Amino acid sequence: MLNLLGVARFPKPDFTSGYQYPEIVHGMPWESFWVWLDVVLLVGMMSLVAWAVHRRPSRKIIFSVSIVSVLYFGFFRTGCVCSIGSIQNVVLALVDNNYRLPFVVLLFFLLPLLFAIFFGRVFCAGVCPMGALQELVNVRNFRISRAVASALSFFPWIYLGFAILYAATRSQFIICRFDPFIPIFRLSGDVGMIVFGVSLLVISIFIGRPFCRFLCPYGAILSVVSSVATKRVEVTKKSCINCMLCHNACPVDAIREPYANKVGESRMVGVRRVLLYIMLLPLLTIGGGWLLSSQSDTLSIAHRDVYLYTLLQNNYEDKNMPTEVEAFYEMGRSIDELETSVMSVRESFNRWAWFVGALMGFVLGWKLIRLSVKRTRKTYEIEPSACVACGKCFNYCPQNISVKNE
Amino acid sequence: MWQIDPEKCLQCGRCQTECVLSVSAVKCFHANQVCGYCDLCGGYYRANVKELNTAAENMMCPTGAITRLFVEEPYFEYTIDESLCNGCGKCVKGCSSFGNGSLFLQIQQELCLNCNECKISKVCVSGAIQRVPVRQGYKLKDHA
Repeated sequence: MLNLLGVARFPKPDFTSGYQYPEIVHGMPWESFWVWLDVVLLVGMMSLVAWAVHRRPSRKIIFSVSIVSVLYFGFFRTGCVCSIGSIQNVVLALVDNNYRLPFVVLLFFLLPLLFAIFFGRVFCAGVCPMGALQELVNVRNFRISRAVASALSFFPWIYLGFAILYAATRSQFIICRFDPFIPIFRLSGDVGMIVFGVSLLVISIFIGRPFCRFLCPYGAILSVVSSVATKRVEVTKKSCINCMLCHNACPVDAIREPYANKVGESRMVGVRRVLLYIMLLPLLTIGGGWLLSSQSDTLSIAHRDVYLYTLLQNNYEDKNMPTEVEAFYEMGRSIDELETSVMSVRESFNRWAWFVGALMGFVLGWKLIRLSVKRTRKTYEIEPSACVACGKCFNYCPQNISVKNE
Repeated sequence: MWQIDPEKCLQCGRCQTECVLSVSAVKCFHANQVCGYCDLCGGYYRANVKELNTAAENMMCPTGAITRLFVEEPYFEYTIDESLCNGCGKCVKGCSSFGNGSLFLQIQQELCLNCNECKISKVCVSGAIQRVPVRQGYKLKDHA
């Protein structure tokens, strides 16, 4: 090992002119203050949105919260750490005893879930800067067909699965790495990510919240939690008159129309299909686990040791030796030690790939069952798992307007 | 907060290019307590320069961020202008190979965005970048 620390090739000079060593103070930001302000604002804004959604249906308040969130959490705090990314920290903390999960990160993970249990996805409504940014640029709602939207809504689960896999194996935080909006908030970043982020923003002008619906892994968790929310978001406190206006206004297509689900087939066929899917569920679960774990060696290259190990398999001329390999030799690490590390990494990849693949398979099966369980509705109803509580429907409901005129 | 372990750092040069900031948050720090105050400084001059003057072709630092001040014969005090430093680590390499190793790279916390996962840490060839508790403060070399 190179002794880089204070080699003292040259003795400490003894100054005769009374020279004093300069005092260099390296600046530290007031980080703990900002971090706690983040938490206070997170709770405050979620409470405000919850109040605006449930107590006094008002889109204006939610809209103002969105602006504050984009400015503060987005552009000022540059989006780190966010609840979406905190999934990975929590997973890593559960797996790795050496990793100490910062308390604030835990709060960022738990608080939106806690609010979702009681009030629905009020975090998504306008507190999350990513959601708020897409909400603010959205002007038109071109509807995606239900079939396409259902298929795309499986993507967040795939994303979540891989995020868990890579975090649990200590490889990468892919949610942070491939966050499309962070480069916009920071006004700098990889060209690829900026193009991705800007194109998502352009899409969200015409289609409501593409990231939230078809990518966000935290949204996937929230949709599960919010489907059991004690207080559901309602378009109006009065009775629905089936005017369809709220359905047209909803940017995330969360309002289900009445009678659209009316069963068009004989009851027995439907029941049989559901039974078939229920039988398929364990098969899909095991199949998913097997499929992903069969690829686990390929996936494990995301880990630094495995990557280094594959690099070391080649012979290099001195000139074009990769820096990683050069550093490996310079640090005097032994190949045996690396090999044992690679073996254990691959093993943990295999284990986690089973779990994650099984999770994905289970979700797929569950979604199939949900799609084939039909229920007749008499009025327009909000689907709580999809509703992001943005409040756009409030002003469209004629029942709400008549309240104002009274 | 993210910190570089100066003992592990190999000055591969990735800190300059991999940081999410367009000018890296990694800066060169100087431990005066360790410095030999040499005239012929391995971090200040390039190796094998013909003339020891401040002409740009003789200087190690590509951005001219290192300035020196004559203290007394034969000692010079070296100072880093952090606003010019781009974190390339060339001077650190020079100082570590020919000097006392008083120059080192460190993540300047006033600039660091404190990403959930430091992008440089993922490509650091020696795994020198780790998270440390804020109250632990900077990893410096002064106390060596």
